[in-house]
Parts: sequence; structure tokens; C-alpha cells
Amino acid sequence: MGMRSVRAALLGGVLAMAGGLTALAQEVGVTPDRVRIGMFAPLSGPSAAYGQDVLNAARMWFDKINREGGIHGRQIEAVVEDDRCNANDLVAAVKKLVEQSNVFALNGGSCSAAVVAASDYVVRNRVPLVMLNASGDGALFPPNDYIYGAFSISQHAAGGSAVEFAARHFNARRIAYVNHDDAYGAWNLNAAKFQAERRGAGLNVQSISPNITDVTAPMVRLRAANPEVLVIMTYARPAALIIRKAMELGYRGPIVVAVNATADLRQMVANGGGPEAFRNVYIQEVLADLPGSARLQWVYDMYRQAYPQLASQEGRPQVYMPYGLPSAMSVTRALEAAGPELTREKFLAALQGLDFDSGVMAGPIRFGPRNRAAQQAAIYIKYDGATMERVPGSFASDWRFE
Amino acid sequence: MPPQQAVAALPARASSNLRLGLLVPAVAAVVALALLPVFTSGYVVYVANVLLVYVVLSLGLNLVIGEAGQFSLSHAAFYGIGIYAAALGNKLLGLPLVGCLLLAGVVAALLGGVIGTIALRMRDIYLALTTFAFGEAMQWLFLNWEPVTGGPNGLRIPPSSLFGVEILNDKQAYPVVLGVALLMLGATVVISRSRLGRAFRAVRESDVAAMAMGIPVRRVKIMAFLLSAFYAGVAGGLFATFSTYIHPESLGFQTTMTVLTMVVVGGLGSTGGALLGAVVFGLISELLRQAPAVQEMTYGLILILFMMFVPRGLAPAVSRWVRGRGHV
Repeated sequence: MGMRSVRAALLGGVLAMAGGLTALAQEVGVTPDRVRIGMFAPLSGPSAAYGQDVLNAARMWFDKINREGGIHGRQIEAVVEDDRCNANDLVAAVKKLVEQSNVFALNGGSCSAAVVAASDYVVRNRVPLVMLNASGDGALFPPNDYIYGAFSISQHAAGGSAVEFAARHFNARRIAYVNHDDAYGAWNLNAAKFQAERRGAGLNVQSISPNITDVTAPMVRLRAANPEVLVIMTYARPAALIIRKAMELGYRGPIVVAVNATADLRQMVANGGGPEAFRNVYIQEVLADLPGSARLQWVYDMYRQAYPQLASQEGRPQVYMPYGLPSAMSVTRALEAAGPELTREKFLAALQGLDFDSGVMAGPIRFGPRNRAAQQAAIYIKYDGATMERVPGSFASDWRFE
Repeated sequence: MPPQQAVAALPARASSNLRLGLLVPAVAAVVALALLPVFTSGYVVYVANVLLVYVVLSLGLNLVIGEAGQFSLSHAAFYGIGIYAAALGNKLLGLPLVGCLLLAGVVAALLGGVIGTIALRMRDIYLALTTFAFGEAMQWLFLNWEPVTGGPNGLRIPPSSLFGVEILNDKQAYPVVLGVALLMLGATVVISRSRLGRAFRAVRESDVAAMAMGIPVRRVKIMAFLLSAFYAGVAGGLFATFSTYIHPESLGFQTTMTVLTMVVVGGLGSTGGALLGAVVFGLISELLRQAPAVQEMTYGLILILFMMFVPRGLAPAVSRWVRGRGHV
């Protein structure tokens, strides 16, 4: 053994001691009557609307389970941290939950880019992470043993589902597809191409900047291709520009708008050219039915009962509130399936085998040996700027990570 | 002792008390810092690592703004350049930790020198706007140069290695981060007391007077930007030592403003101030995460109170307080 190897071995020893070589106790965060779950979401700042009520929804589900006696005699103890929708703060929150609060598993993350920042850490420390409402494609593909998410829908599935709807519902063979020229756009296009090929349809794609201010050039090109359906996978502001331009260019075919753009529909109608431009517009929705419909009423009733003061405030519950439920349901179902002798390995194995209807989302919550993205389907709603009419059925993406 | 000698000895004794008053807490702080990983959780060490990165960032920004009096609103850009340079040096070139840190500092410094050269033609608000524009342009580049930076998908940073050993957690990274931060602190003190430091301050007070005294103003200004960017680059390299991911959103104007707040609240033009400001405001920001409902308001209120009651910064206030105790 040369001097260099000796030095490396010594240094390795010193660093390992400094690192504290903590034996990874599998039962960390578990006592006979309690299991500690670390939750994190943006609870302050401009992105709080993505996380506050989503986390509240997950907590109200845990509270319900606790009132019913817990799981295998254990009450769920939620420890909450604010991640500010920012990568550095999210990592701080996760490290605090894991290393200081000693949680058994993590249930958090509403911001896709930020949650990816913690992915290497949770994998290295073998901590299960069940995301809240982040689509989180960057952390889910390629799949690993510790991270589960996309309870609303992954970017991949959003693209695949929109094309499935255009091809199946309208029997379209020429589909115009506008996405962003960033990673999110690349992800949804990936699945959209797969779905189009499977349905024998052609995709005419225009990828635009999220900051675009004039969509004339890409729209003229798409118009020239005489599409049967126009699919818009952009954020709200470019989507409104595209809808307005489509009307100006005389396009009267169906327009399908992805869920990414639908947080404030009234604003989209105002920016998109008014009701005239919305004569043939369909919006993608990942819930099981129209928001506020009888089928989902129990979700909103449960929220009002759990948070009466909050529910009385203007703008509550926030739009994405229901998304927190399937995530929390997955945690409690996996805890149940893992059995009374709870370990992280058993919990992870149980997560992999989950397949259930949440009663909240458009499709089933389903994982598998190579699938970490829970939800692949969407419903579609005809929206004329004032009223909503659901198209029967749900439309799922068939793309899977290979 | 004759009365005259006793009077003459008074200031020396006060000075000696003052030095002792500073030395004891300084030694205690270094010992506490060195032992931190032994007694605390990985989370606390992570926070300490982040604070040390902020310290290096603040020291660098203080050099150009506080010492040399040149507006610079592109510090986050140089920090980002440092992070990406270190991460890519590690990922693509397989450089060891020290190589990555040097690469981060040098690449940032070179670009800092370019900005410094451009800055020769401008001052005050025009310089501020130009550096702000550079910062924005760099963030745009981080977001859109996808093959290199990962774009909006972010970039995963592989573990750094020191003498063939991979650094896989915060406690392992901490000795390196602490060591480099102390080294940069020492270098700042040396620079501040050197001929160059005096030249910085002369330029800050008056370009014309400095020129009249024979100071090469152009070279000094470029040097200020170059050194400041070097610090930011090294801070980025340090961040890449204990972090596994970087996203361009973390490298915008908000980060520059955070560091600027640290420097101003600490005491503009004071090395100790940059150090104190980074630690105090970094800690406040982390502690306020526990109060999401009121954190923005509380942060703003604390900042206003600092500006009202400690307008010249924390370091001069602490210094006055210690002197007062020294005389007693």
C-alpha cells in the first residue's frame, strides 16, 4: 500500500468520523403509539397558494385517520416546515426534518424544481419521500426506490393525456401542439409524441419561450398546417395569447388547454379575447370531476369542518387543495400495508404496490416496480368563458419510463 | 509609578483590555465552530455551511462596494458562475475539490475583471444598472443554456472528492467550508490593511484625489471587481461542496439583495461587519422559517429597526460597546 493509499484511507477515516457514520436505524420516527411524518410545502411568500391548503388537506386526512384510532395503534404525528418553494430552503427543511426531528418519512413538496434539490439527499439517507402536489418529473424519472409523487399529474402524463383526448374524442389526425422550450416542455412533448404515434396522429409542434410576448410567428406556422385540434401545453399567459391569436387567424377548431394554465380561468378569458375566443375551448382537469361538483363535495365539506375559520376567508380553499388528499392517502395506506412491525423498507415496498381510487383524482393512484408517478389521467371540460360542461370519461397517457 | 507615567500607561492598558476582550470571544468562537459537528445534528451543520458561504459572499461584496465604493449588483451572477464552474469541473473534468474551488474563483474573477473594465466608464446609478443588467443576463443564461446548466431542470452536482475521498454529507464538507471561509476572512483582513486596501478606500472617497496621489485608479477599480468576483466564485465552489443541486431561480437579484443587506446591516466598509451581517441575517432568515404566517413582515420590521437604531451597522456598534467595556 503506497503512501497515497494510506493517506486516502486515513482521510477517509477522519471524514467518516466527522460524518458521524450514523447507523441508519430503520425504525427512526416510530414508537409503539406514534409515527412521525415530516411535511413541507411553501407556506409563505408568493408561492404559498401552491402549498398552504394542499398541506392542510393532507393534514386533515391524517387527523381523520388519528380520530379513527390511527394505524396499527399508532397516531400520525405531523411535523411541518416551510420550504418557501425555493431549492435551498427546501433542502434546509428536509434536513431539519430528517436529522433533527427524526421523522420516519417525508410527505411534502409542491414545487417541482425545488423538490428535485432534495432528491439526492433523501436517496443517500434512504428516507421515503412522498411528494404532495409537485409534478416532480425531475425527481421521478428515472425512478428510484425512495421518491414517489405526481399525485396531481406528471408533466409527461399531462402531454400524453391531452393528445389522447384530441385523438380519441375528436378523432383528430392532425394535431397542432404548442409547448415551452424548457425542460417541462420537453417532458410533456416526449409523452405527447408517444401518444400521437400510438393513435396514428401527426403532431405539428411549436416550442415557445415562457416569456414570449408575440405568438404570431408560431401560430401562423401552425395555422398553415390546418390542424384539426390545437393543444396548448403552456403557462397561463402564453396560453391566453395563443387563444387570442387563434381567433384572429380564423381558427375555429377545438382548443385544448393544459392544466398548467387553468389556475385563474376568468383571467384567461379576459386576456384571451373574451367569450368569442372561447367558443370551442376544452380545459384539462386532473380532479375526478368538475371542481365543486357533487362527486367532490365531500372534500370541500371535510375542509370546512377541519378549518372553519380558514374556510370562511375569501379565496379559500385554494384551487389546488384537493391534491393533498391522494398524497396523504398513499402515506396512510402504505403505513397500513407495511404492518405493525413498521420499517422504512416495508413502507417503501407497500408504496410500490399501491393501486387505489382516491375518489379525488381523474385516474387511479398506481405505482409499480418501475413507476413512481402516481396519476396519469385527466378529464376534459368544455368551457365557454362562463359555464363548464364535462366531457364523459377520462383520458390517460400511456407513456411509461423505459 | 509617577503620576505622569500612570497617565501615559492608561491608553495602553485600555488597548490591552480591548484586545483581550476581543481575543477571548474570538478564540471561543473558533473552538465552538471547530467542535460544531461533534455536538450538533447534520441540519445545524448544513445551516453553518450555508452561513459560511454567505460570509464569503459578503466579504467579497464588501470589498467592491464597502471598500472601493463601486456599485455592484451582479454578485449572485458571479456566485452562480462559481457554482456551475465547480460542478462542471467536477462532473466533466473530474477535478478534485481544491481544483474545483480554484476553477470557480478564477472563472468568476475573469468575468469580474471584464465587468470591472466596463465599469471604468460609469459610476453611481449607471454602474448599478449595468451590473444589474449583467446579473439578469447571467440568470437568463443559466436558465437557457440547457446543455451546460441543465436550464430550468437544474443541475445535479456530483459529490466532491478530497484526496480520493468523496464528500457525501454536510459534516464531511464542514471542515473544508470552515477552513476556506477562515482563509478568505484572513485574506480580506490582509487586503484591507495592504496598500491595495488603502487604494480602494482612496478611490471610494474621490477618484480625482486618488489619481492626484498617484494611485492607478483604473487598475484599482478593475482589481476591486476582480477580487469581489473571485470571492463570489469561491463561495459558489463551497456551495457545490455540500450541495447536490443548483437551480437558476436561486441565482437572481433576490440573492444579490440578500447579500447586500448583510453587508449594509453589518457595516459597510467593515470586514467584521460583513462577517456579522452574514451570520446574523442568515440566521434570522432560517429561524423565521418557523413562523411562515408573519415571516416577511418580521424580516422587514427587523431590517427597519436595524436601519433606525444601528444605521452605521452592527460592527461599529459592537466595536463601540466593546470599547466602552474596555474603558470600564
